[in-house]
Amino acid sequence: MNKEYILGVFNDEESLVEAFEKVKKKGIMPVEVYTPYPVHEILEGMGNKTRITHAAFFYGLFAAIGILGFLSYAAGISWPLQYGGKPFNAFPSFIIVTIVATILSITLLTLFTFSARAKIFPGKKPEIIHERATDDKFVMVLDKKSLGKENDSIRSIIKELGEIEKKTV
Amino acid sequence: MYNSAVRGRLIEGDKSLGQISQEIIAPIHAKTPIWWYAALLVSLGMFGFGLYCKYITVTTGIGTWGVNNSVAWGWAIINFVWWIGIGHAGTAFSIFLLILRQKWRTAINRAAEAMTVVAVFCASLFPLLHMGRPWLFFYIFPYPNTRGPLWVNFNSPLFWDFVAITAYLLISASFWYFGMVPDFATIRDTAKSKIKKAVYGFFAFGWTGSSREWLRFEGLSFVLGGIAAVLVVSVHSIVSTDFAVSVKPGWHTTIFPPYFVVGAIFSGFAMVLTLVITMRGLYKMNDFITDSHIDAVCRVLVFISLIMGTAYMTEIFMAWYSGSEYETYLFFHTRIFGEYAVQFWIMFIANAIVPQLFWFKKMRRNMWVVFTVSIVINIGMWFERFNIVVTSLSRDYLPSSWASYSPSWVEIGFFIGTVGMFITGVLLFFRFIPMIAISELKSVAKFDKPQKNHVKHTSHE
Repeated sequence: MNKEYILGVFNDEESLVEAFEKVKKKGIMPVEVYTPYPVHEILEGMGNKTRITHAAFFYGLFAAIGILGFLSYAAGISWPLQYGGKPFNAFPSFIIVTIVATILSITLLTLFTFSARAKIFPGKKPEIIHERATDDKFVMVLDKKSLGKENDSIRSIIKELGEIEKKTV
Repeated sequence: MYNSAVRGRLIEGDKSLGQISQEIIAPIHAKTPIWWYAALLVSLGMFGFGLYCKYITVTTGIGTWGVNNSVAWGWAIINFVWWIGIGHAGTAFSIFLLILRQKWRTAINRAAEAMTVVAVFCASLFPLLHMGRPWLFFYIFPYPNTRGPLWVNFNSPLFWDFVAITAYLLISASFWYFGMVPDFATIRDTAKSKIKKAVYGFFAFGWTGSSREWLRFEGLSFVLGGIAAVLVVSVHSIVSTDFAVSVKPGWHTTIFPPYFVVGAIFSGFAMVLTLVITMRGLYKMNDFITDSHIDAVCRVLVFISLIMGTAYMTEIFMAWYSGSEYETYLFFHTRIFGEYAVQFWIMFIANAIVPQLFWFKKMRRNMWVVFTVSIVINIGMWFERFNIVVTSLSRDYLPSSWASYSPSWVEIGFFIGTVGMFITGVLLFFRFIPMIAISELKSVAKFDKPQKNHVKHTSHE
């Protein structure tokens, strides 16, 4: 079934944030907000949290242990060779490769995580709510049904700061 | 908070957000200018000549180069270090200036990162071909093989270098690309032609600008930014260990890692200046890359130039103070007043003395002076690498192994080829990619306008 949405379209960040906070005060949560650049009040206000930084930490931890383990195994157990009188497990000189390869692992794994979680990947068809949301408009999407009694007051909040548009998806 | 009354406006000319995207995207939609084709032709010619020289190197061998048993590292390693140094600007710009909360970086970081990717690519060709048998280059990967398995030497800086350069190339390329995704979406949504919509739409990966996407995008930038900062310092430190862990006079010094890192940032920033001044001139980006942006880069350069001068003086002082006759001989009889004195003095004057012009505001505001000095620094930094690589190798401990070095035309052609490749890369970047990070620039546009109190002064950080 088609869903009806009300879009609050604003010209600048300030109006969007003001409207966003007023709408939230009325007890209504916007479905989604589209902006040309990240607006921190919105990112915090939408209540979503990202754990991508935690994921990155664990990728790094496991990568570092894995790489150091591999180097020690290869140099100390699998095929030990003497290099310039150093011990087989020449640990301090493994640190450099461990650091750099860990950074590489973190980067690639975090990118894949981002791609999977934010659903940003090659070949994806964008669901464009408002054509200018990536250009110069700040768009707040509200579910028409969720407005209920507050319908009129919400509309007047949006009208005061921006424009109302309708969208059926 | 950024105070544009004190620091200068970030964007000139009171532009709306729509205008910002339009003006930055304009070159992509405009008709390709004639000079662009001409420049592309020249750079492709250089690139082709380079390919021919590479062909000769591969089919005949390293004997076609001017290197000999004593000076085994000639132009190839000089150019490798030079390009890697230039390739440091992208991450240094994006990451260090991000950590330092410098909002003016938003107008320049895209160009710097693009330059990084191309420069690192150019750099990686030199060690590859210097191997002599490049088709066996995969031996350097530590993989279970039928030769033992005989693993690579994890204690060798040459292996560290391979890991570092590979990581740096992949990381800087992905950092650059993901920064562009929102901008590709902007082009997709504003373009009129269907082909452009489809092509840029593909590269935009379905970006819409929703809060969920931005939230994770910010998380990603935070992670990549944080760890790439380590990389900026480590990559060139590792390059320096290629030299510093040896026992050659002039190389075996503890100053090398910081000296290389600072030198890399120095040459990278100089190349950024060359590039953005060209961009300003050719594409009229003066409103975004304002005089105060250029001014800021010049100030960074004058500071780094002082560090370079200090490093040179420290090396000379230590050569004398250590009492080591080999060091003293190398510095005083080979570099300062010897066979390679010309190269030494070009390095010293170009890197430590000429940039001192930037103490004067008049000089920093004159684009011709800034452009010329940026080129001079790049030449000076090339000679620095010449000094390091060639002089130490040509005057070893044993006079019987002393040798002079001059490059063959194949080596020179190889270098010209990478310059052509770099220019080609930059031209393609000008033509098909937004030269300035649109979404980042928009996020700092508000600092130029009077604002109500409740908006927090956060931006794309």
